[in-house]
Amino acid sequence: MRKWMTILLALVMILAAGCSTTTEAPAATEAPAATEAPAATEAPAATEAPAATEAPAEEEASALSPTVQALYDAFDAAMAEQIGPMPESFGEINVGAVVISLTNPFWVTMQECYLAAGEELGIPIDVQTGTTEGDTASQLDVLMTMADMDYDVIIVSPIDGTNLIPGIIKCNENGIKVINLGPGVDEEALEEAGGYLDAKITVDFNEQGETVANDMIARLPEGGQVAILAGLAGASQSEGRTAGAQEVLEAAEGIELVAVQNCDWDASLAYDATAALITEYPDLKGIFACNDTMALAAVEALAAAGKTDVLVYGVDFTDDARAAIQAGSMTGSMSYSSERYTKAALQMAVMLNEGHVFESPVYLPLTLVNVDNVNDLEGWK
Amino acid sequence: MSPFKRWRRRQSAALLLIAVCLGMMVFLSLETQSFFSWKNVVNILEANSYRLLLAIGMMCVIASGAIDLSVGSILSLSAIIMARALKAEWPIWPALGLGLLSGLVLGSINGLCIHFTRINALIITLATSYLYRGLSLMITQGIPITKLPQAFREIGCGDIFGMESGVTMALGATLLLIPLFYYTKWGNYVMSLGGNPEALKRSGVHTGLYRVSVFALSGLFSALSGIIVTARLNSAEANAGLNMEMDAICAVIMGGTALHGGYGNLLGTVVAVFLLGLIRNGLTIMSVSSYYQQFITGAILLCAVVVAELRERRFRVG
Repeated sequence: MRKWMTILLALVMILAAGCSTTTEAPAATEAPAATEAPAATEAPAATEAPAATEAPAEEEASALSPTVQALYDAFDAAMAEQIGPMPESFGEINVGAVVISLTNPFWVTMQECYLAAGEELGIPIDVQTGTTEGDTASQLDVLMTMADMDYDVIIVSPIDGTNLIPGIIKCNENGIKVINLGPGVDEEALEEAGGYLDAKITVDFNEQGETVANDMIARLPEGGQVAILAGLAGASQSEGRTAGAQEVLEAAEGIELVAVQNCDWDASLAYDATAALITEYPDLKGIFACNDTMALAAVEALAAAGKTDVLVYGVDFTDDARAAIQAGSMTGSMSYSSERYTKAALQMAVMLNEGHVFESPVYLPLTLVNVDNVNDLEGWK
Repeated sequence: MSPFKRWRRRQSAALLLIAVCLGMMVFLSLETQSFFSWKNVVNILEANSYRLLLAIGMMCVIASGAIDLSVGSILSLSAIIMARALKAEWPIWPALGLGLLSGLVLGSINGLCIHFTRINALIITLATSYLYRGLSLMITQGIPITKLPQAFREIGCGDIFGMESGVTMALGATLLLIPLFYYTKWGNYVMSLGGNPEALKRSGVHTGLYRVSVFALSGLFSALSGIIVTARLNSAEANAGLNMEMDAICAVIMGGTALHGGYGNLLGTVVAVFLLGLIRNGLTIMSVSSYYQQFITGAILLCAVVVAELRERRFRVG
């Protein structure tokens, strides 16, 4: 009898540990109570954080700087043109979103924006992800599971072009509409496998590269040597940004593009590459890194070498990049509003569910934040 | 002691895990709508077939008193070799054979190094895991090999019994392992290799043969796992299988196999893989953030080993 009691007690403990993540002492009197209570408090906990951040956002809305207000207005106008108006009334809808990783600040922000947008539009939304960034198999597992749940629309942002394809096909079969947001699904491979996307909303990556390159050229009237730090080879964001910038830079007179180096989105690789570049080309005038993590690493490497006159651009406009641009150590970063991005995606989800058809991909309007306008952009997100 | 009682004692870890699984399933069925459905069971099986293959290979290695940290890297490298062959227009079956063969060879290299240098398996396989992963990166230059032939995908993740073929492969391999591991000389010697290698050697057994073969088997299972992963994702990439050796070790230990070897608990390993899959699935269905997943896995592993250890001690004393 005592043996069984021990086993039972151990079971309750394991179950409690398994279902609750709060370290509250499990009330080990009866199993169901111990397991249910923590789980019930847990679900709201996940949505609590964004709700808390949303309140100040609303207060801020009235106090936006004119520049930000103008940007938002332009954004809304461009979106209205591409997507159309939000339906005034719509049926019940359940939306899921699969993002790339919740260990990358960009996607954490996106998750918060999804939840805030869902709250604002009155649409329930779940945001899910694989365990770690780059874990393509577990991201697919998540989508496969979600495809059997009662979602009407799922918004996917795949880690690479092909990893979510079986999941998308399953959604197609189960009648769940799929929107591709951000990094692109390889549509050729998807079609070959017998699947399709219902809509797509993304950023024109080439345009990001072109805009940065043009700003860089404008700041270098006497020309000079410049370099590009690319991301992961084969990733569509990296390829697009690099190609866009490369085209503009190579066409410009007096500008010499001396290197395009893959640094795999990695700060320490970018640091080493920058250090090597300035040794090789002491007169280097500008660096375009395909994301802010790499750009900030380049800034560090330049500072360590005592260089202050090199222009450094990044993409994403993270908080760290904002601080660096304000301090003048970084020149600029490409930005777009994650808040409006997710809201537009949710609106598309509603419209798809109401039977609307999107013929062509929706592209987000982009903004270059640089040393000239960074201080006008308080509240932009 | 009656045979049933002995079996129950031996399988105490597995039985405990089964109880936890059942408890969790009841809980998830009551809490959520989508959990209790055949489709979701299929989901869990499909998502864990390749993990199961890695874990049962790892179970054999751990039972032999060693450890294999290179399974994730073997998964990736053998898949890349196979994908390269497919891209070079090799027919499907020879390409698959090449993939499996490379897994076997890579595993054997581990075993040979350990046998001849007498250096700890942990260190040798740590080194080879970097070597193999490095080779994967060098071959692919970080770019995934995608768009593989449809016929290959049919084999790797086509439909068998209403679910992906990977499930059949993994369960088939597990079933084959039962007689091989528990009822043959090979299985006995592998376990003695962990329990008392000196005695095995003194009785005239060529221990190197068994050391190498158990690592070769683990390599083979990793390669098979690689085929499934590659077919599902339609891409072979250098990052595939990253950190999966840790999940495999976790499942093996949770399933009641002692880290010092001498005995391997296959049933426990299978149930542990299923339990870990159940946790991942449950968290997705309940829309709990992935942040909690690792914490929960750690908590369950800790509880499982502590309970197992306490019971073990009581039996030893009693």
